[in-house]
Amino acid sequence: MSKNDEILVKVSHMTKKFGDLLVLNDISFDVRKGEFMCVVGPTGCGKTTFLNCLTKLGVYQLTSGEILINGEPVDLAKHNVSYIFQEYSAFPWQTVEENVAYGLKIKKWPKDKIEKQVSEMLDMVGLTEYRKYYPSQLSASMLQRVSIARAFATQPDLLLMDEPYGQLDNSLRYKLEDELIKLWQHTGTTVIFITHNIEEAVYLSERILVLTNKPTGIKKEIVNDLPRPRDVTDVAFNKLRDEVTDLIKWW
Amino acid sequence: MKKKRFDPEKTIYAVVAIACFFVLWWFLTTFTPVKNTTPDPIAVLKLLFESFYTPIGSKVITGHLLVSLRRVLVGFGVATVLGIILGIAMGTSKWASAIFKPIFELLRPIPPIAWISLVILFFGIGETSKYILCGIGAFTNVTLNAYTGAQNVDPELVGCARMLGTSERDIFFRVVLPSCTPQIFAGMQVALSTSWMAVLAAEMVGAQEGCGWMIQRGSDTLNITLVMVGMIVIGLVGMLLATLMRAIERRLCSWNIMEG
Repeated sequence: MSKNDEILVKVSHMTKKFGDLLVLNDISFDVRKGEFMCVVGPTGCGKTTFLNCLTKLGVYQLTSGEILINGEPVDLAKHNVSYIFQEYSAFPWQTVEENVAYGLKIKKWPKDKIEKQVSEMLDMVGLTEYRKYYPSQLSASMLQRVSIARAFATQPDLLLMDEPYGQLDNSLRYKLEDELIKLWQHTGTTVIFITHNIEEAVYLSERILVLTNKPTGIKKEIVNDLPRPRDVTDVAFNKLRDEVTDLIKWW
Repeated sequence: MKKKRFDPEKTIYAVVAIACFFVLWWFLTTFTPVKNTTPDPIAVLKLLFESFYTPIGSKVITGHLLVSLRRVLVGFGVATVLGIILGIAMGTSKWASAIFKPIFELLRPIPPIAWISLVILFFGIGETSKYILCGIGAFTNVTLNAYTGAQNVDPELVGCARMLGTSERDIFFRVVLPSCTPQIFAGMQVALSTSWMAVLAAEMVGAQEGCGWMIQRGSDTLNITLVMVGMIVIGLVGMLLATLMRAIERRLCSWNIMEG
C-alpha cells in the first residue's frame, strides 16, 4: 500500500465535449505516487472516455482543464505511461517473451537488464514455461497476463487499466486480481483501474472514485483502507461494497 | 500446440492422386478415340527426358526453363516491391488512397494478356516487355492484398505500441508491416501463378526461347507431344515455386501458421 503523500497525477477541471454533448464535466482529483485507485460508475457513464482523456491519445483532447504528471502537462514522449486495454493486445507475431520485452527494447534498456526484467515479470504472472509461445497458442487469461506483464515491465510512472478482466469468468478474475496486487506491491507502480465491477474495485483499490451518470462528474471519493489480503465474505468488505453500490444505483 | 510438420498420410494421398491421373491419361490415349489426337504419357515423358540433352530450337529444356524463370522472377520481384509500397500507402494514408485507388480500381480488372499489344508498342519485343507483362500479372494481386492487410491493422495494437513509446515511423515497421505480412504472402502466392501465366502469354508472341515459345512451336508444327512436355514442365515448376513460397511464408509468419 502506498504510504507516499507525493502527488503524481493532478487532474484539474477536466472537461470533454463531443460537439454539444458534454461527457466529462469539470472533474478534479489527485492520485498519489504508488496509489491504486479504482474508478467505478454506472454503465455508459463515460469511464473509458475518462481514461482516454487522461492518456490524451489521438482524438481525445480535453475541451478544457489540464492533467499534470509530476507537475508537468502529460507528454507520452516524456512520461512513462502504460495502458492495458479491455481487448487482448498482445502482438500476435511476437512470442510471449518478445511481447514482454517490447517496451524495454523501445526504451533501449541494456540486453542483460531486459532479459532479467522479462524473466522476473513472466515468473510473477506464471508464464515462464510459455515464454516461447505465440499469442495464438494461449488462453484468454494468459493473453491478458502477457499484456499486464508487458505493461509492468517498463516500470511505468502511471498504469491505466480499462476493465482488463471484463471478459474473464469469476475464478480467473480472482486469480488475476491477486496477481495484479502482487505485481503492484512489488513494483510500486501507480495504478488507475477502471471497472464496472464494484466487488473488484473494493478488492483491489486503496481509493475508489465513484462517477455520476452523464455528464460525468465525481460523486464521491472513498478511501479503502481494508487490510490485505482482503476477504470478499468479510463484513467490512461487504459494507463498503454496499456503500459503493448505493452510490451508483440508477434503479 | 505444434508447428505444422510433414504429414505422411497426405503425401500418400497426393502420390495416389497423381498416379491415378497418369493411369487415366494412359487409358484414354490407349483405348479410346482420344489416341488419334493426343499422345500417351509414356511418349510425353520420353520426349521430356530427351529434351534434357537434345535442344529444342536453340536450347535444351533446362535452358528454356531458366529463361522463363528469369522473366517471371524479375517481373514478380519488382511488382511485389511496388505493390507492397502502393498497397500499404493506400491502406494507411487517406491521401494516397484518394489519389491512387480510383486509377488502381480502373486498371485492376484488365488481365495481363490485354496489355500485350500496348506493351510491345511501347517497349518492343525484347526482354523488357516480358518483364513488364509478368509484373502486371503480379502487381494487382500484391497491391490489393497489401492494401487490405494495411486497412485491417488492429488500431488497439497501434495504440498499444504508441503507449509503449514507439515512434510514428517505428509503428510502421513494428506494427503495420508485421500485421500485413500474412495477407501480403497470400497475395504473393496468387501473384506468382499469375506471373507464370503471363510469361507464357508473353513468350507466345515474339519470343525465340522459353516455355511459352516451346508450346507455341509445338502448336505451329502440330507436335502435340512437345506442347504437352511444355505444359508438364510449367505445371511442375509452378508447383515447386508455390511450395517454395509456402516454406518462406512458414518461416516468416510462423506465428500465423500455428496449430492449436
